[in-house]
Amino acid sequence: MTDFEAYRASARAFLESVVGEFGKEARRGLSVEEDLAYGRRYMARKYDAGFGGINWPKEYGGQGLTHTHKLIFDTEEAQFAMPVVYFGISLGMPVPILMHHGQDKEFVKERVTKALRGEEIWCQLFSEPSGGSDLAGLRTRAEVDGNGWKLNGQKLWTSWAQYCDYGVIVARTDPAAQKHKGLTYYWVDMKAPGVDVRPIKLAGGDSHVNEVFFDDVRLEDSQRMSPVGGGFAVAMHTLMIERYIATDSAGFGPPLDLFVELAKDTDYAGRPAIEDGRIRSAIARNHAMRAGLDSITARAMLKMQAGMEAGPEGSLNKLVAVRSRQKLSELAMDLKGNSGFPYSEHVSAREDWSASWINAPTGRIAGGADEMLLNTIAEKILGLPQDHRPDKGVPFNQIPA
Amino acid sequence: MSILYDEGQEAIATESRRVLDARTSKDRLLKLLTEVGQFDKPFWDTAVEQGWTALAIPEEHGGLGLGLAELGLVAQATGAATAGAPFLTVGYGAAQALVAAGVAELQAQWLPKLASGEVLATVAFAEGTTPLPAAPAVTFADGKLTGTKHGVTAGIAADVAIVLASHGGKPALVLAELSDANRAPIDSYDNTRLYADLTFSGTPGVLLIEGEAASTLALDLLARMAVVTAHEQTGGAEALLFTARDYALTRKAFGQPIGAFQSVKHRIAELYGFVEIARANCIHAVASEGKDNFVLAAADARIAATDAYDTAARDTVQVHGGIGATWEGGLHLHMRRARSLAVEQGNLMFWEDLLVDQLVGEPA
Repeated sequence: MTDFEAYRASARAFLESVVGEFGKEARRGLSVEEDLAYGRRYMARKYDAGFGGINWPKEYGGQGLTHTHKLIFDTEEAQFAMPVVYFGISLGMPVPILMHHGQDKEFVKERVTKALRGEEIWCQLFSEPSGGSDLAGLRTRAEVDGNGWKLNGQKLWTSWAQYCDYGVIVARTDPAAQKHKGLTYYWVDMKAPGVDVRPIKLAGGDSHVNEVFFDDVRLEDSQRMSPVGGGFAVAMHTLMIERYIATDSAGFGPPLDLFVELAKDTDYAGRPAIEDGRIRSAIARNHAMRAGLDSITARAMLKMQAGMEAGPEGSLNKLVAVRSRQKLSELAMDLKGNSGFPYSEHVSAREDWSASWINAPTGRIAGGADEMLLNTIAEKILGLPQDHRPDKGVPFNQIPA
Repeated sequence: MSILYDEGQEAIATESRRVLDARTSKDRLLKLLTEVGQFDKPFWDTAVEQGWTALAIPEEHGGLGLGLAELGLVAQATGAATAGAPFLTVGYGAAQALVAAGVAELQAQWLPKLASGEVLATVAFAEGTTPLPAAPAVTFADGKLTGTKHGVTAGIAADVAIVLASHGGKPALVLAELSDANRAPIDSYDNTRLYADLTFSGTPGVLLIEGEAASTLALDLLARMAVVTAHEQTGGAEALLFTARDYALTRKAFGQPIGAFQSVKHRIAELYGFVEIARANCIHAVASEGKDNFVLAAADARIAATDAYDTAARDTVQVHGGIGATWEGGLHLHMRRARSLAVEQGNLMFWEDLLVDQLVGEPA
């Protein structure tokens, strides 16, 4: 057995030992707050078992192992449907960037440990009403205020902000500079006076995203994580920090097996739908697509285990998988016909076609809209030109709003 | 399941691309489109000289003892070049039939000649619209074949064929020399595929295998040829992706390269997705050779690669505008090849059905 295989086995052993307490079945029917409480306890258990901060430095409370070890654990963990969704962003981007750019090492170490144990959660305050895909178009302002800063403005689509203790934020410190050059990066205490978090109900009925208002919120200069005007580079670093995350060729919707079972169990025009050519074609096309993505992921893992860089084709996963999930969910609803009208907000998008369908649009927008992903492939991989950008080289305060 | 190519395999990929880049002539291929019964001799001489005919034949029979991975990489290069002869894939199918059927004297008689390129072999399974007939209309009795196989790849030039026939009501694979068969050449949209209707009228043949084992082997052979073809399709699609990209970088309209317009750049970025998913499925199929899921993996590869090549042919011509639709521009070499390869070794409908059967565990 290789080291990696042994590690996978130990990860499975741990997960199997706690699945009865924290798995899907144990949590069925819980409210979000109750589920989060399970999540916090699970994170503490995971930390105590030595699976917290797997690829993070030991000096900050991590395990000091490789990125591959972390991917192996994440891949195994995903199969157990543990309550980790609340911590994904926190541990994926804000906390790692704090380790890189935080000024006070003792403070950072304390935050990292509490975040790994699920005691504290961090959010990422990037998107705004005026800038999502166009991040550098943001308008939240940080102005010099004595020896610190004063923060005013609004962020949008901030995941789990209502449960967060801290956040990382990019704000404009120089409106007269070009738009990428007038930004500065800070961490912010989400419980500080002047921070107002308002959940936004999404189409599917859940409210995991928020708008966050800042009204004269005081920031100490020690909360600054970039040079003044150097915030965009740290923001880019934040988005690149997870260079290869655990993926899902089902696009975080139901597995194809579930569709095959539905087609076997459903009659259409007097025979099982699995005999219908249209249904068969959809199954085959989706299978080929998912098998291709799985093979891309498997090859990336092999490359990383061999100490090589994973190929750029890994960037296809979200783009291809979520779109396909959206269409397959529609087809599943067609198949169910009039018997498929019942709907509940409280079922998982991985288990239910209606939940998968109604929540698919956020998957195609969050973390890089399809169109931005296509731009990235075209520009970074294929070397095609950037789009025409009329705001290039123009001071931010002279760009037409 | 997947693999990383080793250094030897990477070298085969690089060298086969290099040699075909140097020796392929678009003008020669365009001329061959109008001629029935001709193939690109310089290409085939190259294939023999490079040992591609011997790649997947066991060493004890004069081959190089390599496998599907290596042949697949060569096929990617031939696909990129729209190579002007069809013998590699069907020759591999015929050689694998001899290897698997295990008749020692037939192996000794034919495999060294297939490896050296001295003999050209093909496979004749399909009848009508059925790539793999359960009860073939072509019959084999008393050592003789009777009936017609339509549209056989390489049928105009092959010396020998592995024929799927009915033998006393059971499926059988029969080796037949084609000197006695009647060949009716087909003037097709992709003439270097050398399609012909082969009519057997008491043509002598040798039984390789029959019954259930013959059906199983025929499916395995078809899956193997489909995997080689999927590599060829992926190579063609990738060549088109780069052609579209290069054109979009140089061609200007409205004061900028057309690749700066999202309608064009996104179209090309989508092609990248098709190509990489096809390639990943090809690698997965190679890694699944000899395993229970091989036919399923072959179906994945075949479906993804057909989709990739058809889409790339369609969209690359579109990105080129008018010049893409001209004879001289030559993109129609890929359009034609995308379609001929999509039909050879079983069309999409066939592979979609086969995939679902494999998934569900029984034919519907």
